[in-house]
Amino acid sequence: MPIQVNELSKHFKMFKREAGLSGAFRSFFNRKYETFHALTDISVQIEDGEILGILGENGAGKTTLIKLLVGLLHPSSGEVSINGFTPWNRKSDFLKQISVVMGQKNQLWWDIPASESFLLNQKIYEIPEIQYKNTLDELVDLLSVRDKLNVQVRRLSLGERMKMEIIAALLHNPKIVLLDEPTIGLDVIAQLKIREFVKYYNEKYKTTFLLTSHYMRDIQALCKRVFVIHKGASLYDGDFNDLVNRVNPKRKLLFEFNEIPNQSKTERLSENYNFRLDDTILYAELPDKELTKLVSELFQLGVPASITMEDLPVEDTMRSFFKDPEKFLK
Amino acid sequence: MKAWIDKYFSVIRMTWIQALEYKANAIVGTFAIFSGLAIEFLIWKQVFQAQELNEIRGFTFNGLMAYIFLCMIVGQLKSSWATSIEMIDSIRTGEMNKYLIRPISFFTYHFMMFIGHNSLFYIVYTTVLILFPILLPGYAFPTFIHIIGFIAALLISIYLSYSIYFCMVCFAFWFGEVRALVIAYNLSNIVLAGQIIPLRLFPDSVRNIINLTPLQFLVDFPVSIATANLPMNLWIPKMGMALSWCIIMTLAGRVIYRSGIRVYGGYGA
Repeated sequence: MPIQVNELSKHFKMFKREAGLSGAFRSFFNRKYETFHALTDISVQIEDGEILGILGENGAGKTTLIKLLVGLLHPSSGEVSINGFTPWNRKSDFLKQISVVMGQKNQLWWDIPASESFLLNQKIYEIPEIQYKNTLDELVDLLSVRDKLNVQVRRLSLGERMKMEIIAALLHNPKIVLLDEPTIGLDVIAQLKIREFVKYYNEKYKTTFLLTSHYMRDIQALCKRVFVIHKGASLYDGDFNDLVNRVNPKRKLLFEFNEIPNQSKTERLSENYNFRLDDTILYAELPDKELTKLVSELFQLGVPASITMEDLPVEDTMRSFFKDPEKFLK
Repeated sequence: MKAWIDKYFSVIRMTWIQALEYKANAIVGTFAIFSGLAIEFLIWKQVFQAQELNEIRGFTFNGLMAYIFLCMIVGQLKSSWATSIEMIDSIRTGEMNKYLIRPISFFTYHFMMFIGHNSLFYIVYTTVLILFPILLPGYAFPTFIHIIGFIAALLISIYLSYSIYFCMVCFAFWFGEVRALVIAYNLSNIVLAGQIIPLRLFPDSVRNIINLTPLQFLVDFPVSIATANLPMNLWIPKMGMALSWCIIMTLAGRVIYRSGIRVYGGYGA
C-alpha cells in the first residue's frame, strides 16, 4: 500500500482575542490560548494509481491532511507512511516522488516566464535533459499552453497560470500528486480541461492523485472513491456514487408523450407515483427502482416522443449532505 | 556535488533573470550604489575643507575615505536583512510551503537568492575596488596578498552575517513576526561592527565586549586587512576564529530551524 495513514491527529494552539483596540490591548498583556483539533484519529489507505477525493466543508481539515501527507506539518500523534517514507522527515528521495499543487499558492516566479521556473525545477529535481524535454513537450501540448511558455507569469490568466503550476509540479514525474483546489476560480472550460488532463495523466502513468475540491463535478468526474472529513474526523470512506445515492437516491425523469395521455390512467398512476404532468410532458423525481417501474407503466400509456433520465445535480446533493452529514451515514 | 552546484546556481541565475526583467530598476540600482559613495565623499570633503583639517583622530581625508568606502562596500555586501525579512514573511504567511515540498534547503536556497540579488553590487564594487589603488594610492590594498586576504575575509563575513540573520529568522516559527528583531540587530550592527566608526576608535571596555562576539568579523576584520591595519601574522588566527563563529552560527541555525519546523503552521491554503 503506497499511502498508509494511521490514527493521525493534528492539534494547533491558537490564541483568541476580542475584536477592537481594547481587545488587542488586553490580549497583548494577557493572551488566551485554545487548542484547536484540526484532525482527530484519521486512518486511510490509498492504492497505487488511485484518484482519491478528499471532501469536507471549509475548515474540515482537508488541507491540514494534505499538508501532513507531504510533510509540511508534524502531526500531534499518529503515523503516515508513503512508499516507506515518513513525510515530515522530508528526505530528498521522498520529495522527488511527490508533488503538490495548491490552487491558492504558487511556486512559479511571478515576474519571469514560467519556462524559467521549469528550468529551475529541472535542476532542483535533477531531471535528465532528455526526460525534461520530453515531459515538458508532452505536458505543454496536453494543456495547450505552448504559446504562453515565454510570457511573464503575472501576465497569464488564472487558468493559464494553473496549467503552468501543474506542469511545474509534474516535470519530475512524481508517483503521488496532491491537488488542493486545483480548479478554484477557473471558468468552466478551464475546469474541464484540467479534469480531462488529470484523468488522462492518471490512466497513462498510473500516478496516484489526492484531490480536494469544492466543485463536485471535479470529484464526480475523477474520483471513484472519496474520503469525507467532518470537523477533523473521518466520516466516510468509500464509493462516491454510493454516497450520493445514500444522500439522494432520486433520479429525474422527463417523459414526453406523442399525444396527451388518457387522463383516468394518469390519475390512477399518480396514486402510486409522485409526478407532474404538463400536457404531453411528465416530470418525476424518484428513487431508481420506482423510476424504472414508472417508465415501464408509462410505456403502456403510449409511445414516447422522448425519454430523459438523469441524476440530480451532485452539487445540490452534496450541499444537503454537508448540512447534516451524520443523518445520512447512520 | 555537480548536481548540488547546478541546483543552487540555478537559483542565482533566476535572480539575475528577474533583475534583468526590469531594466529601469537595474539602471537606477546601479546609480544608487554610486550615489551613496558620492554623498559620503562630498560630505567629508566639506567637513575637512570647512574645518581646515588635515586629519581626524589619525585619519587623513584619503585614509578616512578609504576606510568609509570599504566599510560601506563590506556593509552592503554582507547585509542580508532584506532577504531575512522575506524569509520571515514566508514563514508567517505559509509561503515557505513551496520550499518545503521540494528537495531544496530553505537556508541554502535563500542564501543563493541573497547572493543573486546582490550580484549587481558585487560587479559595481569590484570595479570600484579595482580603481581603489589608482584613486586612493597607498590607503588600501598595498600588496596583492592584501586583496586575497580581503576577499577571503569578505566571503567569511558574508556567510557569517547570513548565518546570524538566519538564526533570528527562525524565531518566526514561534513568534510569527520578528522583523523588529532583525531591524534592531541591523541598526545595532551598523555601529557595533565598525561600519560607521572604526572599532579601534571605540573605548577599550566596549571593544573587549565586541571582541567576544562575531560582530568584529563582519566589517572591521575585512576592512582592517584591506587597509593594512591588521598585522599579517594575525590574519590566520583571526580567520580561524571567524570560521569557528561560522560553524557555531550554522549549527545554532540548524538546531533552531529543526525545532522550529516542528511547530511550523504552514498557514494559508
